[in-house]
Amino acid sequence: MSKEIVIEPATRLEGHAKIVIKLDKNNKVEDAHFGVTVTRFFEKFVEGRLMERVIRIVPRICGICPEAHHLASVSAVEAAWGITPPKAALKLRDLLLQAKTISSHALHFYALAAPDFLVGPLAEPQYRNVVTVIKHLPDAGKKAIELMKIGQDLCFLVGGRAIHPVTSVPGGQSKPMTEEERDEQLKRIDRAMELAKFTLDLARKVVGDYLDVITKLGVFDSYYIGLAREGVHTIFGDATVRVMSPDGKIVADFAKKDYLDYVAEHVAPHSYATHIFFKPASYPDGIWRAGPLGRINVADKMETPLAQEALKEFRDAVGRPCHATLAYNWARVVELVEAVEKAKMLLEDPDIVSTDVKLADVEPREGNGVGVVEAPRGTLIHHYWSDEKGICTKANLIVATNHNIAAVEKSFLVTAKQVFEDKIHEKLKLPEPMIKT
Amino acid sequence: MPVTVAMVSLASCWGCYQSLLDTHEALLDILPQLDIKFWHTVTDFKYKDLESYKDGSIDVGIVEGVCRTEEDVHILKTLRKKCKTLISLGTCSTYGGIYGLLNLTTIDQALKRKFVEAESVQEPNIPEEDVPKMLDFIVPNRKIVDFEVFLPGCPVVSKDIADAILGLLKGELPKPPVRTLCDECPREKSEVITIKQLKRDYEGIPDPKKCLLEQGYICMGPATREGCGALCPKAGMPCRGCYGPGPNVIDQGAKMISALGSIVDYESISPEELVEKVGDVAGTFYNFFLPSGIISKTVRKAK
Repeated sequence: MSKEIVIEPATRLEGHAKIVIKLDKNNKVEDAHFGVTVTRFFEKFVEGRLMERVIRIVPRICGICPEAHHLASVSAVEAAWGITPPKAALKLRDLLLQAKTISSHALHFYALAAPDFLVGPLAEPQYRNVVTVIKHLPDAGKKAIELMKIGQDLCFLVGGRAIHPVTSVPGGQSKPMTEEERDEQLKRIDRAMELAKFTLDLARKVVGDYLDVITKLGVFDSYYIGLAREGVHTIFGDATVRVMSPDGKIVADFAKKDYLDYVAEHVAPHSYATHIFFKPASYPDGIWRAGPLGRINVADKMETPLAQEALKEFRDAVGRPCHATLAYNWARVVELVEAVEKAKMLLEDPDIVSTDVKLADVEPREGNGVGVVEAPRGTLIHHYWSDEKGICTKANLIVATNHNIAAVEKSFLVTAKQVFEDKIHEKLKLPEPMIKT
Repeated sequence: MPVTVAMVSLASCWGCYQSLLDTHEALLDILPQLDIKFWHTVTDFKYKDLESYKDGSIDVGIVEGVCRTEEDVHILKTLRKKCKTLISLGTCSTYGGIYGLLNLTTIDQALKRKFVEAESVQEPNIPEEDVPKMLDFIVPNRKIVDFEVFLPGCPVVSKDIADAILGLLKGELPKPPVRTLCDECPREKSEVITIKQLKRDYEGIPDPKKCLLEQGYICMGPATREGCGALCPKAGMPCRGCYGPGPNVIDQGAKMISALGSIVDYESISPEELVEKVGDVAGTFYNFFLPSGIISKTVRKAK
C-alpha cells in the first residue's frame, strides 16, 4: 500500500506551508509536495490605492523584511514617474537595507537554522528551537539578541519604525540623519562587527562538524539568481540581475526593467505560492535558487574585504557554484559580515548626514516602473502601473521566497529519496551536538 | 511554574511576533517564564500537537493575523478551545487589518489577477489541489471567537507586547486607551485648525515641527488611538491609523472623514475638489479598518 507522510505545518519558517511525501508500497518516493497554504493578494488590493501609499502598504507582505518591500516599492514608483531622488536619500535607503540584512540574517541563523545544528537533528522536536539555544548557550544567545538589536535599532532610525518602515516617499526620504545619530550608530557598528565575527566563527565550527551532512544531503543542481554590480555582490542600487546556470556559467545579466524576458511563474496546483523560474530554460529545467546561496554563487566577489575573505574560505570548501542546500546557512553569515562592513562604510560617508534628502517638486505621471532589491531571502521585484493622477492601476510582484519554492520542493524530493530509499541518515557522520538535551 | 502559551499566525506577515522579538533583552526575562506549546516559526510543534492538547489546558493563546482561508478558521477555533485566555495581537486580528482591503473586490477577481492575468505567469491555472479554500471576505477575528485581550497595532509596538505579557504573568489586564494619537504627538498644533490646501505625501517639504494635518497632509491622528508614540509623524510621515480607532470611536474612517470635513476651509477647496484630491476614499480612511467599518457591510451588500 502506498502512503503519505504529511508534515503540517512546516516549522521554523515565516509563512504557512505543508510538506507531503508520497511513498509507494516498496517505500520508493513517488513525489514530494511543498504546498503554501495561504496567499493575501497584495497585487490585487493595491489597485486603486495612491502610489505613495502603496509604498506603505507592501511592507506588510513580510514583517521580517518589510524594509526590502518598502524600498523595492519606492524604486518602482520613482521609475514609473521618472524621478531621481537626491543621492543622500539613496545612501540612506542602502543603509536601511544593510541594517535589515544584519538583523534578519542574525535572526535566520540563530533562531530558524542553528537549532538543527546546535541541538542536533536527532533531538526531540520540543527542544529544537532557539529557546533551548538561549538556555544552554546563554553567551551565544545574548550575542544573537545584541546583534539583532543593533540591526533593528538602525532600521528604526532610518525607516522611522523598526517594523514596517515609512520614510521612503517618491522623491526621497522624509527624515535626514543627524550627526549625533550617526556618531551613536558608528559606535555600535564596531560592536556589530565583533558579533558578526563571532557568528562567522560559530558558523565555521558548525560547518566543519557537519561537513559530511552539508555536502551530501539535499544537494542538487539548479540555476541561481541575484543582483550584482559589474559582477560584485550587492543588495541595493544600480545593479543588474545575474543568472548562473547549473554548470556555473553566467547565462544572463539583465537590466531590472527587463525582468519579464527572464523571469516567469509556474502555477503549481497544490501551492498558493507560484514557482518562479528562468524563463529561457523553461519549467522545470529553469528552476533556480535565490537568497544567500544564489547571490554568493552569481557574484564574482564580495564588495567588502572581510566578507571577501569569508567568501574565499567558503569557495575553497564547497566550490562555485555550490549546490549544497545546507550551505545556505554559511553563505548567509558571509553576507552578514558584508552587511556590517557596508553599513559602516555608509555611516562614514559624509553624505549620510546631508539634509538634502527629498525633492520638493514631484509630479505623478502615467507609466509603469520596476523596482528590484535583494531581500534577505532573495531577489525582490515590484512592478507597478500608475495613471496620470498617481493612482496604482495594476501591480505584479515577484516576492523573494517564491524564487525558492520550486527548489525547496526539489530539495524535499532529493532528500526524501536519500532517506527512504538509501537510508542515508544511518550513514552520515553526525557530530556530538553542542547542546545535549 | 512557567505559564503555558500557544502562539499562532493566521494570514499574517509575522510583524507582531517580530515586534515581540524586538523586545530584545526583555526576551531573556519573558522566555524563561513561558512554556511554549505551539509557535510554528520558532518551535517544531505541529498542528497535530495543538489538536492533541486537552481543552482549556493552555494558559494563554496569542493570535496574530486574520482568517483568509477555511484552515485559518479551524486553527482559530481550535486555539480558542485549548486556551483559558486568548490575546488578539495586532490590527489584523483585532480589526481585520490591511488584507481586508481585498473586501473591496471579490476573491474570484483576486485569484484571477494573481494566477491567470499576472504578466509573469505562464500557463495560467488556479491552485485547487490540496490547498485550503479561500474565504469570500475578511472579518475581524472577534466575529469568529471571543477574546479576553485586544492589543492592536501594525505592528503592536514592542513595549506594549512586553508590558502586556509581563502584566498578564502577574494577572493584570492591559488598560484601554484614553487618548488619541494627536495627544501623544509632539508636533505643534494651533488651537483651531483650518486647512486651505490638501497635499499628497510627496508634495513639498513639510515643516518638521508643525502638525502635519494643519499643513494639509491627511494624518489619521484624530481618529486613531494612542499607543505607538506617534512614530510616523515623528519620522515626517502622516499617521495611517494602524492602531485602530481612538477611544469611543465606532468607525475609524467615518470619524476621520468627519474630522477632516469640519476643518477644511470650503472657500479654498470645494467639496468636489476635496474628494478629487483624496483620490482613494477607502484606502485613505479605512487602510486597516475596512472589515470592521460600517462601510464594509454596505460593500458586501452591493455585491
